[in-house]
Amino acid sequence: MSIRLSASSAVPIYRQIVDQVSQQIASGRLKPGDRLPSVREMARALPANQNTVLKAYEMLERDGLIERRHGDGTFIAEGGSPLRLSERRRRIADALTQAVVLARHYRLSDDEVRRALDEQLTHFPKATQE
Amino acid sequence: MSDAMIEIHGLRKRFGKQQVLDGVDLTVPTGSIFGFLGLNGAGKTTTISILLGLMKANEGTCSVAGVDPEKDPVEVRRRIGYMAENQTMYGWMRVQEIIDWCGGFYPTWDTGFAMDLCRQMGLSADAKVGTLSKGQSSKLALILALAHRPKLVILDDPVLGLDPLARRDFLRDVIGQLQARDVTVFFSSHLLYEIEPICDYVAILHQGKIVACDTVDALRERVRCVELHTPDAAALRNVPTLLDVRVEGNRTLATVADYGIAKDALTRLGANGSFDDGLNLDEIFEAYVAGRKEVAA
Repeated sequence: MSIRLSASSAVPIYRQIVDQVSQQIASGRLKPGDRLPSVREMARALPANQNTVLKAYEMLERDGLIERRHGDGTFIAEGGSPLRLSERRRRIADALTQAVVLARHYRLSDDEVRRALDEQLTHFPKATQE
Repeated sequence: MSDAMIEIHGLRKRFGKQQVLDGVDLTVPTGSIFGFLGLNGAGKTTTISILLGLMKANEGTCSVAGVDPEKDPVEVRRRIGYMAENQTMYGWMRVQEIIDWCGGFYPTWDTGFAMDLCRQMGLSADAKVGTLSKGQSSKLALILALAHRPKLVILDDPVLGLDPLARRDFLRDVIGQLQARDVTVFFSSHLLYEIEPICDYVAILHQGKIVACDTVDALRERVRCVELHTPDAAALRNVPTLLDVRVEGNRTLATVADYGIAKDALTRLGANGSFDDGLNLDEIFEAYVAGRKEVAA
């Protein structure tokens, strides 16, 4: 489990934690059933305020990515994202916007951008569920 | 006791002709980690000295851990833990000796607890204080501030002069030792991006006043930078909560303290929302302490 915070980013700290945990789940580095550090352990390791870590964990739990089992700890949830389709689409659109802005700055052709995206899609294996 | 660990109202302090504090109001909630930010010379240390009862204010009132520091400075210092900027300690003493020596000043001193902290933070009890690195000295100063088990700890620029690894270590200790024990932590700094992740609240002291005081998340939510189409100086002046205006080429960027309040006025000035951006804490701080509200002619 490795989370790196960038405090110079305009992205709030709790959001950075949420994003990085989600990414690691998507890439398969974190697998269903894996245990996450407790709020206290994570807060110390980063270091970040415990309330900030708690807020991130609550968001991840609400999104169904992790589950907290009482007295047992926090684990990566089984099953895929329970996010609404519209929310999943919005997040993807946000990420693509950044890529397209860069592509325009670098004067890459639309075809080159499409090829790059296709390449990325083949790099990451499709999740087994869905 | 109220749920505020520190309450400051209308605090004013003048040195000669210089008005250092010009009506400071501040409430530090019990149990919070509170970052007190300001440029060098903004009056952070002056404020802390008044809170500790080391200095008297010209006007205003304070309550620190339920005590008025002006009336009862000894009791205040007994109730809180304090770590000074560039704290000096007797170099010839050993860690164990300085812990015992400081313990003489406090009836509630817990030497066993202090030694536990030394072990947890990797400080040897036999080490000579004079041979400790700067990072280790800061740890020792923190241990000395905690060993009488205060409910409030005031740290004046504790990471000043530490290298990046020692700073990270120190902030970990603050989180690990203090937040877990439900101690209120009030600390000053000007290294914003490093303290941001560990703070619940931040306050910005500028020109003798608190210009912003909020949770870090709320501050990031409300302070926004917006792109406008027309640099209409007269109209811009009417934008509520305006902090800063900058013209870059043919773009005009306006930073506002409360986007929710300013949004309508900004929309009338041609903001279309597409470039409305969140800011990091450094940028927020800069807008408050160095913002200009006039468009250069």
